[in-house]
Amino acid sequence: MHPAPRTQHSAPLGLYIHIPFCSAICNYCNFNRGLFDADLKTRYVDALVTEIGRVGRAGGAGREEADTIFFGGGTPSLLEPDEIARIIATCDASFDVAADREVTLEANPETVTEARLAAFRRAGVNRLSFGVQSFKDEELRRLSRLHSAGRARDAAGEARAAGFENVSLDLMMWLPEQRVADWLASVDAAIALAPDHLSLYLLEIYPNAPLKDDMARARWSQAPDADAAAMYLESLDRLDAAGYEQYEISNVARPGRRSRHNLKYWTDGEWLGFGCGAHSTRDGVRWKNVASTEDYADRIARGESTAVDARRLGPDERLGDALFTGLRLVDGIDGDAIQRRYGVDVWRRFGPDLERFLEAGCLRREGARLGLTRRGMLLANEVMSVFV
Amino acid sequence: MDPSHIRNFSVIAHIDHGKSTLADRFLEITGALQAREMEAQVLDAMDLERERGITIKAHPVCLHYTATDGQKYVLNLIDTPGHVDFSYEVTRSLAACEGALLLVDASQGVEAQTLANAYLAVENNLEIIPVINKIDLPGAQPEECRRQISDIIGLDGEHALLASAKMGTGVHEILEAIVHRLPPPAGIPDAPLKALIFDSWYDPYRGVVIVVRVIDGLLTPGMKIRLMAEGQDYESLSVGIFTPKAIEVDSLAVGEVGFLVANIKKISDAKIGDTITEVSRPALEPFPGFKPLKPMVFAGFYPVEGHEYPELRDALEKLRLNDASFFYEPETSVALGFGFRCGFLGLLHMEIVQERLEREFDMDLVTTAPGVLYRVTTTDGKVQEIDSPAKLPDTGRIEKIEEPVITAMVLTPAEHVGGILKLCQDKRGVQKTLEYLSSSRVLITYELPFNEVVLDFYDKLKTISRGYASLDYHVTGYWESPLVKLDILVNGDPVDALSIIVHRDSAYERGRALASKMRELIPRQMFEVAIQAAIGGRIIARETVSAMRKNVLAKCYGGDISRKRKLLEKQKEGKKRMKRVGKVEIPQEAFLAVLKMGTDTES
Repeated sequence: MHPAPRTQHSAPLGLYIHIPFCSAICNYCNFNRGLFDADLKTRYVDALVTEIGRVGRAGGAGREEADTIFFGGGTPSLLEPDEIARIIATCDASFDVAADREVTLEANPETVTEARLAAFRRAGVNRLSFGVQSFKDEELRRLSRLHSAGRARDAAGEARAAGFENVSLDLMMWLPEQRVADWLASVDAAIALAPDHLSLYLLEIYPNAPLKDDMARARWSQAPDADAAAMYLESLDRLDAAGYEQYEISNVARPGRRSRHNLKYWTDGEWLGFGCGAHSTRDGVRWKNVASTEDYADRIARGESTAVDARRLGPDERLGDALFTGLRLVDGIDGDAIQRRYGVDVWRRFGPDLERFLEAGCLRREGARLGLTRRGMLLANEVMSVFV
Repeated sequence: MDPSHIRNFSVIAHIDHGKSTLADRFLEITGALQAREMEAQVLDAMDLERERGITIKAHPVCLHYTATDGQKYVLNLIDTPGHVDFSYEVTRSLAACEGALLLVDASQGVEAQTLANAYLAVENNLEIIPVINKIDLPGAQPEECRRQISDIIGLDGEHALLASAKMGTGVHEILEAIVHRLPPPAGIPDAPLKALIFDSWYDPYRGVVIVVRVIDGLLTPGMKIRLMAEGQDYESLSVGIFTPKAIEVDSLAVGEVGFLVANIKKISDAKIGDTITEVSRPALEPFPGFKPLKPMVFAGFYPVEGHEYPELRDALEKLRLNDASFFYEPETSVALGFGFRCGFLGLLHMEIVQERLEREFDMDLVTTAPGVLYRVTTTDGKVQEIDSPAKLPDTGRIEKIEEPVITAMVLTPAEHVGGILKLCQDKRGVQKTLEYLSSSRVLITYELPFNEVVLDFYDKLKTISRGYASLDYHVTGYWESPLVKLDILVNGDPVDALSIIVHRDSAYERGRALASKMRELIPRQMFEVAIQAAIGGRIIARETVSAMRKNVLAKCYGGDISRKRKLLEKQKEGKKRMKRVGKVEIPQEAFLAVLKMGTDTES
């Protein structure tokens, strides 16, 4: 059996645009970001526009199809609406972006007003993702966030008033000193705002995160693992009851409001990343751009390549990546699709290693589909490491 | 060579007292050094030995020395292994000599190993020349050493030679003393051939190379020879000497030391201590002292990946080509699957074999706790030797169990005596003697169950004495003991590979400590894991490893799948070193938990 040759760009691309600026650096954040600098921002936006145009032209005669644009950061809402409009226009000029596109802007509540949000809407943004994290002011302070719970509530209202029909909120659980009840209160507060989409993450404290020092100094601690598990499971129960569908380990949405862009990551899709540190995946090759904002802008200005760490994935690695990312989805892995694309019978190859997860109730197998149970989602790494 | 111009000698020394340096000086003075440099790899072939600073054994070297009397002498330097595990080989090497140098570090004084080997030399009727080495060191106390040599060992310390092998001081005097103070070999040239095998190894091109000392008669190429203990006949193909380069010669005569290549395929056919004679004119009696080597310490070796069993078998087979003193036989464990029960001369020997399997053969091993050979008498009067807890008969069928006992000599600075006595008592020892050799040095002799020593005695001795006490021991018999099998149950199922045999009185404490150590070593699983210790079906301790509740990564930001993969790979790498027993993943080190118990629980 031959692995079916993949049709070039069978699905439309996702376009990711990284905005590395923040007004302040959060003590837990490990993403590629730096403090806001107006001059650098201007230079950076120019560089982005240049890069998008260059990559689009490199695609050849016909423009390639894309159907999502995602501004991630950093704090993309620190860009001016006209800057966002210019970047989206460049995407349109360089790619064949579908009319029913999803254009997401990550925003911090303290950076927006109704007027500003309306301007983003007019610029072409149709989905907002607010970094709320918590509806408890004390918890927000511990995370060194700049907004209050009140500001987050207001921002959600302003988004609706500005005409956004697709609003997502990010929340984090297992925060320092947070008890199960605290977390559920935030979840309830979020549900009360009736967002279209919610992302729920367990806080990961990186070894060199300033939060670690803050915690040591203030003697804050995180709840035991069992409580963290309870936070996760109980919040999902509440969201089920409130009419949200969980579709990924950390994401729930109202029907039709799943993040189309993020789904590309989990469905073996293809995407191009623009800006410093942005990741791209295409035709079985993964690469990223240089991390430094200045280095990136300089390279673009000099007409040099910004790609580093380009790696062509071997067949096993492609398969493994498709499987472990697919397992993040509630729908799980479609064995038939894998068979068609990679010529591999998932169960025949990995069954002996997966059997015990079935027994332990972490995994469910329905026909050719293989997915995590909710309990299994909490132990996703255990299962996923079978595929690498 | 006229036997009167031959001297066969060994150097008895504690580790690091300067044996190798002195040997290098001998080679330099007698002009053999250039050759040695060429052969350096051959003389010190095993990396492990070099790293641990123990030479299991080097070739004998034939030194041509012109003494101050103008006469030419052949001095055969015969190496002895430096560890108690190999003490039988030491006796055979010493038996090939007429004399020995007793090398004592001027700043360290006499150590237990020196003492033990000096006693062996005396028992073998060797003439001993004491040499006090490293006299150039600031802390050198040659007078104290002389006194220790006289008082502790009972040799003539007054006439000990002073030397610094490093600086070259006194080395000529040592060579002269070898010529004038050591007796020449006394053998009968025209008697039937009698040659002592004191070393052998496997050479892929020539087969087994045997190192011999001719006691009587003449050994020549082409001769039909017989190995007396085995009763096997071979044809001698070539004989030679080490200069240190191997050089073929026409014959090896009385008193000479050299190698013999016959058509011997397996190293186990050429046993150390065996006597070679001529088929057509055999000696009536072999050279005395032959003992078949018997493994003393036993452990199970299992591949981490069950399918690597054939590779492990091949690796053991290949290792055995070079080391006839370890033994292995297939063994099946319910928990670990197919593996081997292996027997060794001692713990160091076991570690060497284990490391060679891992290093040279790239094997990933699970090793079970080492144990000793028990003698079990069943109610039907039968006596059997038990090398594995799994083979212990049911309690009801056991009449009595006897365990091997060692006589241990501990030489220690006086301030540590209290701690050492307590350790020996804790280890169920029986004190034999306690002698103040001087106001600051004490010789303690104890009878101890060998099993206790195999577990952790040596490490504890070193800790208690801050490294200053030295130990030497020999298995000297068996005694009857109320021993029981301690089982470990993981989620209700006994894990046979974790069972150990312990004294009834310490079983409870050991069981608790072991279960607690296992809890530390077994990582959380997807379900709760119960660890129980049991004696004869009665649970005496229980620990729980609670279930893993979460192991999930946060968002995969901006499509950075590679980072995610790396984290998963790291996680998987960690799991590779674990053995799945039933549904529970147990790390390799947990099977040796019994060796690590003391580190936390008793300190």
